[in-house]
Amino acid sequence: MHELTVARRLVDRAVATARDHDADRIDALTVRIGAATHVVPDQIAFCIETIAEGTPAEDATVRFERVPARGECACGWAGELDTLADTVAGAPDRRCPECGGGVTLTAGTECGLTRIETPDPRDTHP
Amino acid sequence: MRHARLPFPRLHGLLDDAVPLRTHRFGHGDAAEAATDDAESDVLEAVRERARGVHERLAHDADVFAVELLGATGSGKTALVERLLEGPFAAETVGVVAGDVSGTDDADRYRDHGVAVANVTTGKDCHLDPQRLDAALDGFDLDALDVLFVENVGNMVCPADFPLGAHRRLVVVSPTEGDDVVRKHPLLFQACDAAVINKVDVADAVGAEVDRMAEDVTTVAPDTPTLRTNARTGRGIEDLAALLDAARTDAARHHG
Repeated sequence: MHELTVARRLVDRAVATARDHDADRIDALTVRIGAATHVVPDQIAFCIETIAEGTPAEDATVRFERVPARGECACGWAGELDTLADTVAGAPDRRCPECGGGVTLTAGTECGLTRIETPDPRDTHP
Repeated sequence: MRHARLPFPRLHGLLDDAVPLRTHRFGHGDAAEAATDDAESDVLEAVRERARGVHERLAHDADVFAVELLGATGSGKTALVERLLEGPFAAETVGVVAGDVSGTDDADRYRDHGVAVANVTTGKDCHLDPQRLDAALDGFDLDALDVLFVENVGNMVCPADFPLGAHRRLVVVSPTEGDDVVRKHPLLFQACDAAVINKVDVADAVGAEVDRMAEDVTTVAPDTPTLRTNARTGRGIEDLAALLDAARTDAARHHG
């Protein structure tokens, strides 16, 4: 539901980054989304395309990197978490596979721009 | 380093915490790539950072114990806080932030209890965010407050991604939402510190098994305590007060 807010921020970041690099067009941008968030990639892509109209990112391809949820347990276990069965949202299973206790998330809550691709400035600004 | 201005005139509050973006670049054939710095370009991490700021303001600067309540519309969040105000917290100076998409119904109910209230309507937004809470706090004399309750918008999805900086997050559910409500919203339960199953007395009437709901909490969010309450009769309110009391003692120890 909050994809529009998130997308606006991502496009702002992409455009600001492009400007920092004297690029007037963004060919692609990559967004990293953790498995333990409610952010839906398809909706983000749709929102980015809408928001990016009229900006250097308007024709950018949107790519996603899915970050698996990882956790660590007080018992010493650490690793990637399975997905909880029978849940609609595909949430991580927060039970420690070693001791059954609750694990602390160490990855999976990300939602950010990781990179943009722009035309080489040597071509665009000869 | 240059800092480009954000291109959108209608900036959502979330953007105000924008921090300078560090980038580094490297040649890549015909194109160029710019990798953005992880922590600073992460939207949700920026939200969490703001929530830490709100926590700092409440817990450290003003010594206020803050409790956030989340859960669906009609789960009984307001009624639970009302019972706490009447009983266990009657001797304390309490403030309440009532978050709603629209209207002042909850805020009016709280005002009837004689506590300081800030009504935050989010308009079309589906959740409170730390920035809105921070602004709402300006309406309180924080130094005079002992406790702050923050009632989030009735929504079981979005608030999970938006912590507010309270000491404890309580998710409130009721059997009328169906006894599969926990399994349907795992991330919210994982994001909270305790689960309250309210309206337990009507479970039979609506064919819901409270035990199943409690078991689901344990499956979805291990180590998360579950309480059973009925805000209309006051059942379980003392247990809830005890849980908050323990959390408060914890917080006091932590913050010295």
